[in-house]
Amino acid sequence: MAVTVTPETFTMVEFDAPTIVAVVERLIPVVGLPADVDLRVDIDERVPLGRAVVASVDPLVLEIEGGALEDPKRPRRLSEDSTADIVGRLLFRARDQRDPEFGTVPDPGDLSLALATAWDVYATGRLVAGGYRSQRQRWLYAFRNRHGFTDAADAAFDRLWSPSDPLVWADIERISDAARAPVSAP
Amino acid sequence: MADPAKPRAAFAPWDRRELPGAFDVEESARRVGNYKWIEMRLFEALGGWVATVPELDIKMRLGTHCYHHAWHAELWHKRLPELREMNPDRLTVPANDEIVAFMDAVTEPEAPEQTLEKLVGVYRVLIPHKIAAYTYHRNNTSTITDAPTIRSLNFILQDELDDWRDGEMLIQSLITTPDEVQRAAAHQAHLETLVLAAGGIAGPGSIGDAYATSAEGQEVPA
Amino acid sequence: MKKMLPVEELARDERFVRVSIFEGAADPRSVENRAEGSGRRGPQKLTPDRPEAPDAARALMHGIFMGEVQALEGAGRTCWDFDTGSGRDEAPFELKLDMARQCWDETRHVEISVKLGDWMGTEIGEFSEATFLYEAACNPDPVLRLTGVNRALEGLAIDVFNTMREFGSVAGDPVLEFCEDWMLADEVTHVKMGSDWLRRMTADDPERRANALEFQRIVDKLFSLGGFRGEEDDSPIRLARRFRELAGFADEEIDEIAGLSAEARRDLAAFKQGAADSLTTAG
Repeated sequence: MAVTVTPETFTMVEFDAPTIVAVVERLIPVVGLPADVDLRVDIDERVPLGRAVVASVDPLVLEIEGGALEDPKRPRRLSEDSTADIVGRLLFRARDQRDPEFGTVPDPGDLSLALATAWDVYATGRLVAGGYRSQRQRWLYAFRNRHGFTDAADAAFDRLWSPSDPLVWADIERISDAARAPVSAP
Repeated sequence: MADPAKPRAAFAPWDRRELPGAFDVEESARRVGNYKWIEMRLFEALGGWVATVPELDIKMRLGTHCYHHAWHAELWHKRLPELREMNPDRLTVPANDEIVAFMDAVTEPEAPEQTLEKLVGVYRVLIPHKIAAYTYHRNNTSTITDAPTIRSLNFILQDELDDWRDGEMLIQSLITTPDEVQRAAAHQAHLETLVLAAGGIAGPGSIGDAYATSAEGQEVPA
Repeated sequence: MKKMLPVEELARDERFVRVSIFEGAADPRSVENRAEGSGRRGPQKLTPDRPEAPDAARALMHGIFMGEVQALEGAGRTCWDFDTGSGRDEAPFELKLDMARQCWDETRHVEISVKLGDWMGTEIGEFSEATFLYEAACNPDPVLRLTGVNRALEGLAIDVFNTMREFGSVAGDPVLEFCEDWMLADEVTHVKMGSDWLRRMTADDPERRANALEFQRIVDKLFSLGGFRGEEDDSPIRLARRFRELAGFADEEIDEIAGLSAEARRDLAAFKQGAADSLTTAG
C-alpha cells in the first residue's frame, strides 16, 4: 500500500501531509480496498471550497479542494474528522466503481444531484457502520433536498443509509427514483 | 327565561367583592411607583446578564424574562397617572436606601462563573419577595375601587410564578455538588439580610404586619 | 455588573470558537483559484440547484444562529448600559422597553435557529463564530447603537431571512420556509423600531442624525461581507427591497446599501489580491 498526498508541504493552509496520509491509511481496510492499493490524494490548497471527487479509479486518485478538509471552526487548519468523512466517502465510491458486481456507474460528473446524493448516503452509511462519525441528520437533510421532504424520501434514505444487504448501482437508482416519484392521490 | 323587566341585585349572589381596601390612592400610587422601580432594575439587569452567561439555555431564559419584567414596568408606568400621579418619574423611586443596596447586591455578579449567584439573587430572593408583596397588595386592596391594579397584579403574578419556577429549576440544574449548595445558600442568606433591612420591595409593610393583633387592626399605615 | 461589555467578554460554552473578521478577510485562498476553467467565479447565489446547497444552507443557518445570539446580547446590553432618561448618553424608558421586547424576539429566534439546526443536521458550535454583529452593538451613543443594530444589523437579517425563506420554498422545505417567514416578520418590526427611534431621538439634532446615518453606512458596508450580500445576480444574500420598504427604508436608502455592497465586493477582491501577491512575493 502506498498513499501519497500532494503537495507534500502546504503554504496557504496549516495542513500536514503525514497526518492526512495516516487518516487515509486507517480508512483503507475499513472501506475494504486491497491492502496493496496505490492511492494519491491531490489537494488544491488554494481553494477554500469543498469540492471532492474520485478523479481516477485505477490508478486511484482523489482530487480535493482544501476547504473540504478544513476545520469548520478554525479556518485553514486541518480537521481529521472532516478528512476521514470526505476521503472515506470517496473511497467507498471508488470501491463501488472498481467492483464489477456493483454494476456500471455513469460518469460521476454526469450524475443528477439526486443520484449523486443517494450514492453519497450509501457510502457515508457504510463509513458510519465502520465506526466513523458522521452526521446522519445532515445527510438526511441533503437527501430530502434532492428527493423531497416526504415520508417516502425518508424511507428511501433509511434503505440507503443502513441497508440489510449490500446494494448495487441499480438498487441505488431504483431507490432514488422511487423516492422522487410523485405521490398518487388516494 | 326569566322576565327581563324583573329587578336583579347589582352584585350577583356569587360576587362577594367589597368596597373597603387597605390602601388609599396615595398609598397605592406609592407602592406602584416602588414596583415600577424594582421591575426596571430587574429587566435591565436580566438584559445585561444575557451576554455574561455562557449557558445557552439560561441565556435564552434571561432574554425572555427580561421582557416579562419590562412589560410589568410598563403596566405600572401606565397605572401611575390613573392614580393621580401625572409625572410617573416622581414616584418611580426605590422604597428606601436599603432596597437600593439590596438591588445593587443582586445585580453585582458579572463573571461567567457566577451564573448561580445571578439566578439565586433573582429567583430565590427577589422574585419570591415580589410575589409576596404583589399577593399582599392584591388581597388587601379594594376589589372595586382598585380593580385595574388587581387586574395588572394578576397578570404580573402569573408571570412571576411561571418565571420563579423556570429560575428555580435552572438553579437546581446548576447545583451538582454540596459545595454549590452552600454557595447558593450563602448568597441567598446575604441577600435576604439586605432585603430584611429594606422591609421588602415596597419597604416596611410590603406584606403587611403578621404580628398586628385584630384589636390593632390589620391595615398597615402608609 | 459594569456598563459596556467588550466583545472579548461575551460568555460562551466550550463548543464555540471565535474567528475575527480580519482573519477571514486575510485568508489568501480564493474561489477564483478553482482549477476548472468553466467553474464559477466569486460567490454564488444560494439556490437549491447548487451541488453543495444543503451544506451551504446549513452553514448559513449556523451563522444566523450566532447572529441571533449576538442580537439578543446586544439588545439586552442596551437595557443595562444606559441610564434611563432623555440625555445624550441616556436611553428613554420606552426605548428600553422596546429593547426588552427585542430581547424576547431574539430569544425566540435563537430557539428557532437551534431547532432549524437540528432539522438540517447542524450541531451547535459546528462552525466558527464571527462577532462583528455584537461589535456594532457596543457603540456608547445609544442612537448610534440603535442605528447600527436595528437598521444595519436587523436590515441584514431581513435580507438573510428572505433569502433563506426563498431557498426553503424552492427546495420544498416546509419547516425552513415556515420559520424564516416568522423571523422575517419580527425583523421588519425591529428595523422599523430603529427607524422610528432614530427620527425621535435626533429630531432636534441634525448633526447627531448625520453621525448615526454615517455609522449605519459603515456598518452596512461591513455587513455586506465583501459582496456576500448585494443585488448582483450571484450574491448569496439578496437585498430584500420589498421587506426593507415595509420596514421604513426609502428607495434611495436601499439604493445606497446596494452601492455599498458593490463597493465592499470590490474592496475585498482588491484586499485578497494584495494578500495573495504578498504571499507570492514572500514565497
